[in-house]
Order: sequence, then C-alpha cells, then structure tokens
Amino acid sequence: MAVATVIEEQKKRTEETALITGSEAIAVACKLADVDVITAYPIRPYDTVMQYVCKLVANGEMDCEYICAEGEHSQFEIVKHASACGARVFCGSSGVGWMYAMECLTVTPALRVPMIAMVGNRALDDPGAFGVEHNDALAVRDLGWQLVWVDNPQEALDTALIAYRVAEDRRVFLPCAISCDGAFLTHSQALVKIPTQEQVNQFLPPYDRGDLLLHPDNPITVAPQGNEDWVMEIRRQNYAAMERTYGVIKEAYADFERIFGRSYGNPFFEEYMTEDADIVLIGMGTLSVSVKVAIRQMRKQGKRVGFVRMRWFRPFAAEELAKSLQRFAAIGVVDRDYSFGSPYAGGVLAGEVRHALYPGQGKKPPVLGFICGLGGREVTIPDVERMANAVYDAADGKKQPLTQWIGLRE
Amino acid sequence: MDTYVQVDPTQKLDAYKAVKKIPLDEYFTSGHRTCQGCESALVMKMMAKAAGPRTIVLGSTGCMYVANTTYYSTSWVLPWMHTQLGSSGSAALGAAAALKALMRKGKMKKEPINVIAFCGDGGGADMGVGAISATLTHPDYNCLILMYDNESYANTDIQLSGSTPWGANTTFSTPGSVRRIMHRRWKKNMAGMMAAGHPTCRYVATVCMSYGLAAMNSIRKALAIGGPTFIHSLDPCPKGWDYDPYISHELGELAVNTGIWPLYEVEDGVLKLLGRTQQIAAKKIPRQPVRDYLLKQGRFAHFTNDDIDYFQSKVDEMWEKWLVPGVIPFKADLEADAAPSS
Amino acid sequence: MGRLYAIEIIYRGIFQKLLATRIQRAIVLAAHNEGKVGISFGRYGDSPERNGIPAKGFAIVATDPTTLEEGMAKYEPKEVDITICVDDTLCKGVESWAWYGLQPVNRLLKPGGTLIVTSKEGPETIIAMTHRKEAPYQLSILKGTVSFSGLWVYKDDHTDVRILGAVAKILPDLFSLKSVQKAILSEWKSELKTISAANAYERTTSITVNPNQGNPEVPYKFDLPKWHEMREGISIPSIPAGHEMDDPKSHAEGGFQPDRNPTFLKFSTRTMRPVVNFDTCIKCTLCWLQCPDSCFDVTPEGLYDANMKACCGCGVCEAVCPVKNCVTMVNEAEFSDNSSQWEAWRENKEGYKSWLEDKIKNPAERSHGFRYRGQYEEQIPEMLEIAAGK
Repeated sequence: MAVATVIEEQKKRTEETALITGSEAIAVACKLADVDVITAYPIRPYDTVMQYVCKLVANGEMDCEYICAEGEHSQFEIVKHASACGARVFCGSSGVGWMYAMECLTVTPALRVPMIAMVGNRALDDPGAFGVEHNDALAVRDLGWQLVWVDNPQEALDTALIAYRVAEDRRVFLPCAISCDGAFLTHSQALVKIPTQEQVNQFLPPYDRGDLLLHPDNPITVAPQGNEDWVMEIRRQNYAAMERTYGVIKEAYADFERIFGRSYGNPFFEEYMTEDADIVLIGMGTLSVSVKVAIRQMRKQGKRVGFVRMRWFRPFAAEELAKSLQRFAAIGVVDRDYSFGSPYAGGVLAGEVRHALYPGQGKKPPVLGFICGLGGREVTIPDVERMANAVYDAADGKKQPLTQWIGLRE
Repeated sequence: MDTYVQVDPTQKLDAYKAVKKIPLDEYFTSGHRTCQGCESALVMKMMAKAAGPRTIVLGSTGCMYVANTTYYSTSWVLPWMHTQLGSSGSAALGAAAALKALMRKGKMKKEPINVIAFCGDGGGADMGVGAISATLTHPDYNCLILMYDNESYANTDIQLSGSTPWGANTTFSTPGSVRRIMHRRWKKNMAGMMAAGHPTCRYVATVCMSYGLAAMNSIRKALAIGGPTFIHSLDPCPKGWDYDPYISHELGELAVNTGIWPLYEVEDGVLKLLGRTQQIAAKKIPRQPVRDYLLKQGRFAHFTNDDIDYFQSKVDEMWEKWLVPGVIPFKADLEADAAPSS
Repeated sequence: MGRLYAIEIIYRGIFQKLLATRIQRAIVLAAHNEGKVGISFGRYGDSPERNGIPAKGFAIVATDPTTLEEGMAKYEPKEVDITICVDDTLCKGVESWAWYGLQPVNRLLKPGGTLIVTSKEGPETIIAMTHRKEAPYQLSILKGTVSFSGLWVYKDDHTDVRILGAVAKILPDLFSLKSVQKAILSEWKSELKTISAANAYERTTSITVNPNQGNPEVPYKFDLPKWHEMREGISIPSIPAGHEMDDPKSHAEGGFQPDRNPTFLKFSTRTMRPVVNFDTCIKCTLCWLQCPDSCFDVTPEGLYDANMKACCGCGVCEAVCPVKNCVTMVNEAEFSDNSSQWEAWRENKEGYKSWLEDKIKNPAERSHGFRYRGQYEEQIPEMLEIAAGK
C-alpha cells in the first residue's frame, strides 16, 4: 500500500478540525449522512448551506441528486416525494421562503416524512430584511415538525446527524427543522471537529421507509382524501409519534456521546450557571453568547444570574423545564420573535414558558417577557443587564409591564 | 467519460397495434367515487394500463384525488401518493430523483420504474404551471406529467380555471341579467406552451380518451422516450359541462372534429398532427361547426348566435391564421379581435 | 318546548341538486309564512357532489327559535318526519360517497313517518326495492317521470312544487297549501306552479308499509377502526391485481376480472343498467375499454360482462357499442339483484334470450340531463300534463 493511501486511510479514521460556518457544518453533516436527494433555492441566509453542498457534489465528495428548484414550494415537495420513495433528503429555507413553502411544510408531518431542513432564521417581509428573527421557523410549531435551535457550528453539525437519527426512527418518522440564526451562525466560521465516516455509520443506520415505501413492490395508496370519520384518528397518530420523540431524542444523545465522545448534557435545554442562580434568563439561538458574557460580568457585581438555552422547542420538555425553573425567584424570557396580540403581548417562547409552568406543582415564579434582537439587531451586553435587572425587580415584586422591548430606540 | 446529461434506461413500451392487443389487466380499478361517465377516470384507467405494473403514480389535488381515493378506500392497484395542488411537476421530479439516486448508489434494485404525476387543469394550467415547466427543463429525470383537463375546478364546485373555454358557465362565471359572458379569457394553450418553451423536453402530446388506443400509445411513448415529458388530455366532464353522461365519448369526438381540440405530438421537436386532426389539417375532412359541440352542453346554453359565431371565428383563426395551425398562436398579420358585447 | 319538524330529501348528486335545493328552501320559506323558523342545508359530507351518486339535503323547521336549536345541535337529524326520495331507484339503498356501506332509504323515518317517492312505478315495485323497517311507515308516490337535469340548466317540470303540495297534505301542521303557494309566488313568481302544487295536494294519498313488507336483505356496512389499528402515514394497501375468470359451466379459466374497491361498490349510483346480448357481441372491446368504472369482467371466451356491483349506469357502453341492441340501457327498477348476466347466459342461452328481449322492449325513459339545447322544452309539457292531472 502506498504511503499516501495509508495517510488517507488514517485521515478517514481520525477526526479532523475545519474552520467552517454553521451552514457549511450542516452541509458536511449531509455528506457524512450520505443524503440522496437535496433541493436548493436561493434566499439569504440559509442558501450558504446549498452553496457548500454544490461544491461537495462538484468535487465528487458527495453523491446525491442536487436539484435547483424553481421556488421553495417545489423545493419541499420534491424532497417530500423523494423521501416517500425511500431517499434520505435534505432541504431548507429562510424567512418568507420558508413561508412560501408553507403548504408543503404542513403536509409533511402527517405523511410521516422524516425530512431534515435547515432554517437560516430570517425576519419575515415586509420590510425585506436579512437579519435573524425566529418567527419563520416558529410558524410550523403546531404542525408536527420537530424544531431545534443550535448556537454554534459544531452543534449544528452534531445536531444534524442527531436529527436524521431521530427523524428516521420508525417510532418517529417526523420532519425536523434545525434553526440557525442568520449571520451569527450561517455566516461566521468557527473551528469544527468533523466526525469520521465510521463514527457516523455506527451512529446513523440507513433510512428504511419500510411498509410506507412508495414502490411497485409495496403497492400502497398514500394520503387519500379523508373526512370527519378519519381525521381525528390520523391526528391522534401524529400526536403519539410526537410524544415518542422525547424518548428517541434521549436515546440518540446518549448514543452520540458514546460514539463521538461529545456530550450535550440534557438534550432539550442547556443550563448555564444555574446551580446557585437567583434569577434566570431563557432564550434560543446565538443570543446565548452575549447572555453568557453578560452573566459572567454581572456575577462579578454579585448578581447571581443563570441562563437556560432551549435547544428543542418541539418536542418541548415542559415538565423538566418547569421543574428546573421553579428553583428561581423570577424568570426572564428572551424572545427573538413576536406574537402580536398574544396573552400579555409576549413573544412565542414567553407564552410557552408560562404554559409549561402553569400545571406544575409548587412555586410559580413571575415570568417577564423581553422582545429583542429583531431583524438581526445585536443583543448587547447592556441589553442583557437591563433584562436581568428587570427580572430582579420582578422577583422583588416591583410592578412593571409583563412584556418589554429591549434595544429599541425610544 | 459520462455525458453531462445522464438518463437512466426506461421501460420498453411499444405502441399497441390494435385495441385487441391492449392487455386485460387493470391498474386503476372500479369503486372510485367519480361522476357517471367521468372521462378523467377513464384517463386514469388508460394511463395505468398503458404504463403497466412497474409504475409509481403521484396525483395532485382535484377530482382524481378526492373522488378516487377517499380515505381507507382506493381504486389504485399501483402505488399512489397524493401531491399538493400545484406540485405535480415537483412530485414527478422528487420520485424520479429518489429512484435515480437510490439505484445508482446501490440502495435499491436497479430497474426502470415509470414515474407519472397527474394534475387537473387547475393544478396544472393555473397553480402548477411553474413547477411543471421547471421539471420539463431537467433532462436527466424520467417522468411523465399528465394534465387531465376537464376545463374547470370540477372537484371544488366547477369554478373557472385558466383552462376554461371562453364564455362557459361556472360558479365563478355565472351569467347574470346584465352580464351574460362573465368569463372572457381564452383557454390557455398548455401543450403548445410546454412544447415551445422547453427545448430539451423530448415529448409533448395532446390526447382525448375518445381515441383511447392513440392516447395509450402517446402515454407509452412519453414514458419510454426518456427524460421529462408532458401530456395534455381533454376530458369531457358531465358535471361541469352539464350534459348527459351518455354522450361523454361523443363530446370528446366532437371536440376533435370541430377543431377545438387538436390532437398532436411533438417528439424531439418534430410536430406531428394525429388522427382526425391530421385529416382536418390536410383538408381531407371538413371541420364540424363548433355549434354542434357547444349546444350539447348546458355550460354554453346562454350563448347567443353572436357568441357562437365569435367562438367559431376564434377556432377558424387557429386553423387559418396561426403559423403552426392548431398548435402555436403566432400570426403573420395583426388582426382585430371583435368579441360580442355581453 | 315547541314542535320540531325534520324533512330529508334524498336525491341524485348534481342531476337533482337544484331540485333538492329548491324543495329544501321552499319548505323553510313556506313554514316561515306561518311564523315558524327553520334552516335548510345540503349534507356537507356529500359535497362535492358527483353525477348520480346519492346525496342528501335537509329542512329543519320549528315552532320557535329555541326548539330549532334542538334540531341544529345535531348536524344531521337522527330521525325525520318525511323522507322525500326524488328518484325511485334510490329506494334500493343509498351509498353516499362520504360514508361506508349501503343505507336504507327509509332509515331515518320516524315510526308512522312518510316516504314520498317520485316514480312511474306502482307501490308493489317501490316496496319491493325498499329495505324493510321495524316500524310501519307511510308510502306516498308522486306519479311522474323522474326529474333530472344538470348544474346550469334547470328542467322546470314542476316536480319541486308538486312535492311541496304533497308535503302540505301529509304534514298539515308544518304548513298549509296556502303558505306553500305564497312561498312559490315569492320564490318563482309563477301562478302555474301554484296550481300544480294544489293539484298534487289534492291527489296525494299514502298507504301503510308494514314491517313484513319490503326487501329483506341486510345492507352491507363497515366498522371503522380505532386510531391505533390504522396504518400510519395515512397509507392504505392498494387493491390487489385481478385474476382470471372461471366459466361456471365448462370450468375453463381465462379472461380477466379486476379486483375492485371493496368499500365503495357504486351500484346505488345506477338508475339504468346495461343489458348485454352476448349472442350478437362482436368482441370489439369498446364497452370494456371505454368504461370509466372498469366494470366489465372479461370472460374466458372474450365476452364482456358488466359487473353489476361496479356499474354506475352511465350508458357510455351503449353509446360506443357498434352493434344495434347489443348493449341496451334498461331502467334499474326492472331488476331485483346484481347477478351476472353472462353466467345466466352460460347456464341457459334460450332462457337468457327471452329474458333479454323482455327487458329491452321498454328502453329506459330516463334522461340524465342535458343532451342538446331545447331538449327540456320538449320534455316539460308531458310532465306538466301529469301535474295538471290529465
């Protein structure tokens, strides 16, 4: 065996480190997962994943049908049918592109299509803006999609592999969207450990559509038109599948740690400096970075602030979260989204957190909602301090609005 | 080295020489909930028969979805899956891409499998035209998109579509006491548009199930030729056109014999008029007056003689003024269009 | 608590949609002329309607709004005072495209309620077609050719107002003839129609149908599975491919019988059925090929036997058959079962021949809607004569 070949072989067996963006990290995950059909359509910021996929295909590093569609609606319909025919698929979009595909997003869970999509979170038009907001991905929160937010490229890559493992589990067969904040994650490069193909093969079994495969050897009729005699039963099946995701996600993270040697602790949410915290902030995505830095600074001033970063929004680990949050004197929910006219005019996550706390036994700490960072505006360290101070005030029982806009020119 | 277009082998599907050579097997069977005399159901039956057992069918929303497959009940022998209203093009592409990738990568047994996606005129000529057009530009995927055109959103309650003929009564173009003609758009020329607009699409044809053998042979050619193909079928609809189902077959013949519905195929860019249409173009048989066709349908019952004359003049124009008669509406000279007042 | 009245109209989808809608509306309007309140609606599950497939509409009327709410609290009434069946062949049972199984036409009738049927047949034929019911009910036949038209052009043969007149006679508490006539004038502005209603009122009679009378067959039905018994992914198995046929006499195998959807048989859509002369068939294949419902079984000797569980009676086979009287559409009321014509012919060719000649000597009089402009104008006078009592 030639020396060069031996080195190549060794390289395959050992993890490499690469300087790549979150989008590129997901493209690498697709390559490692040996995805069969990928559809692309341009929209910032998610399209960076497809630019990288294109390079991987062109350079022969990846073998897939790489189809440039004529719109997001087609993009998602193409992979939906490809998945029904047994192909592992990948897709994605951002902002209004995701909304343009909405019809196809609604049908995917009921069809039990384990599509993995990347959402490069982006503000919805109008005005057209490229920066991050979470309303795009959140639009499918009630429909049976699994939704997960990541905050760094390594987590993006690892979560994409985990997402395939969970979504394609026969007990689940539900689509999953991986949310990556526009710019902060999609366009910034970081050092990422690239797992070996052997590790990935060990972790991720081939996609087996089984009795749902659309093929002449398995003649089935899929998604006939239903009426009131059937729709509730069909919805109930989806409900059961989503309920099963909790257990399957835990299994997948445990296996991930065993095979790749990287642990994410609690799969559903990350806790930062909560052990001794008086109050806690909760948020999703890359705003975690400034929150963590601000917390470290505030701790120097004696303010014991903690942070909970929600990773999985669907399924939502309500019981675990409620149990954790009841330890604190007050809670501040940091929403990079809005839900106009919702209870207390709060953001989506704030509503979910209050909802999670309501049925639980014991203490119900006050919950403040903050709307910030819309349209890609930076969430600054002083912003985080302002939020923390307001939460301290809430803990002291000081009257104030339940929803506050932070970082707004007033 | 491979060429940049890589088409997988297709099934060998020779033309049936005579009706008696058509196989007895059914792949779309009885027990669908369509109207009496539904010609679109006949399209499904002939399409499935022509394609044979190694076929995957994707069906977009419309009569042939709602009526054929009411949940827990199906008329399909073939594997079949619903696709969204405007997605027949995407469905065909997705299924074809999956088969291609899985077979190339050794994840599925290699064999030619037909992929057919169908849509109605609402799903095809209106909502789905973009996706169909896109798919026809992808030369390396073997699939057929078949548009069954019953000239309205017939499932939803007979609303007009871009494929509804001028003046027809629909629930969105009901004649009233002041305005008689509420639908004043001319029918979209889908097959001509698909053929003219997609230079690498190897096969486009029009069919009508009143000429079943020819239609099945067009479908077989479309599946066997390789790459994405398009077929446009005109289907008399007893419900939306308002006629006795007994005359379904006759109305299909009349559509062809009046010259309203030209039968043709465009194979690798070569246009060939077919059957009665070819004879009409060659002036071997006269075109029947459109009156014979229009007055058999309740949807045109409100037409005045002026309306009928106008309709006739537009059909005359197709044959006498179009540079490619019956197919492409380019003309050498500008002419005024004088629609009757409503 | 006041009194609640429920009336259902069972009709042929599309062909009688306008007719049924007119009757439903006029019932509510006529009752309103007497201070009652009501609603009228087509059963949503039957829409989008299909030509010929049975559908239902309802008129719910009450003496006061609170009582009406009692009726509205259940979308589809559980029992009705009157069932109006505007096509007699519907008496064989109703298989709606939105439910599963065949339901007797008199299923919702209260004990002692009235079934009104428009028909040219006598009570014996109607009762024989109709499934037996545990409690006695009344049957009232409105004589005349069954009224069929399409979506756009209505055949105004006065069937609508004649039924309203009959309802006034049968259920005088609901509304008087005078209130019906007032509603007719306000809806359709036709004096002639009020006279037709009055004539029908005068002539309406009914007979009692007892539990031992009628078709004893138990109609087929299906049990719906529980959510966890259903396949996931909204998937169901496709229909198996078909099989060869077996000749009952020679036991030769050959030809082809497709497997068919077992949960929707479609024969209750039929108002006429094709009767096939196997002796004159030239095996041209056209009936088989052009049948949108794939209802023809291909026999071992290459004949085409219309399967009566699958045939919906569109008549295309008769229209395309090149041989005179080889396929003839015959009124469905002439038949009492769905057995195979080919098997009968194989068993006894001479017997079949005389049976066939008897059946086809009176070809079906039904017209399933519009065939040409001016056709209804030709057909209406005959019905108006019947309406006038001539």
